[in-house]
Amino acid sequence: MLAFSRTKWVGVEKPAPDTYLAHGVLEDNIYGLELDVTVKTPEYKITSAAGKMRRFTTPECPRAVPVLQEAIGVCLTEANLISLVNRRIGREGCRHFANLLLECCDAILRCAFFERWAEAKKQGIDPGDYAKERLPLVPALKNTCLALKME
Amino acid sequence: MYLSYARNKHAGVIELPDGNILARTVVEEDFFAARVEITVSVPGLEIVSISASIDRCFSEACHRTVAPLADVTGLRIGPGIIKLVNQTTGGTNGCPRLADLILECCEQVILRFTLDPLKQILDKQGREMIDAYKVFLSRNPRLLNSCIAFAGGSPLREGLEVEDF
Repeated sequence: MLAFSRTKWVGVEKPAPDTYLAHGVLEDNIYGLELDVTVKTPEYKITSAAGKMRRFTTPECPRAVPVLQEAIGVCLTEANLISLVNRRIGREGCRHFANLLLECCDAILRCAFFERWAEAKKQGIDPGDYAKERLPLVPALKNTCLALKME
Repeated sequence: MYLSYARNKHAGVIELPDGNILARTVVEEDFFAARVEITVSVPGLEIVSISASIDRCFSEACHRTVAPLADVTGLRIGPGIIKLVNQTTGGTNGCPRLADLILECCEQVILRFTLDPLKQILDKQGREMIDAYKVFLSRNPRLLNSCIAFAGGSPLREGLEVEDF
């Protein structure tokens, strides 16, 4: 029997050439949260964050919704993004909102990096060459894993 | 407006007949699909086995990051696990996405054990609920100051101080 289940879904739209809008949903046996995050490029700065708590555990939890405003101005390129979000949004607000916000931030960076990959792959472009060309636009991903390791 | 990118991640915890638990996280996104399964001993919460597969990825290099996952067996789900998993699995020479899936599994194991006490608390109301939260926090002091509900000044931890633990 399934004793616990959590699903997170993130979709990213590009309403303007310099704007990413991520919508995230987290649903598990305990919590139900939604989040909308807008990020502007080329700085990758959060310009808006709005959340909704559908299901939570304590009468204090909804006080975490306005804390999301503390995410405005945060750059996705910050080296300590995870600890910053966990501290500012998680500890000061709700750690599940922080979790979903980090999921949205990561999705936006992946979206930015892979934006041209489907097309490039069809043209037979090598992943390494694609990464070399694309990483200067999404420098936060450089050297983050074996596939994006640049000498 | 159409979606430029989508990610769907699901984590589930299953109780095994031998008393141990199996946690499985699966992710599907535009250019990556993978799954990680860990078996965790109860009550020790030690990772006793792990299996993983990458079904779709950006580069052939990604597949080389699956083998070192065995290094997480023996780790105990508790303080320090995030750093250890990131060191063994993530980083420049690894795959932070697989590390993330392992940590998702660990998080769900913890939440699974939080679910039953929370259900009992949520069946109560008013003062009874607040008192039940205080008992819950005194049994789980790691949660003190972990969020706004359990921060200083919250009625849910009235009279409980970090120094008490």
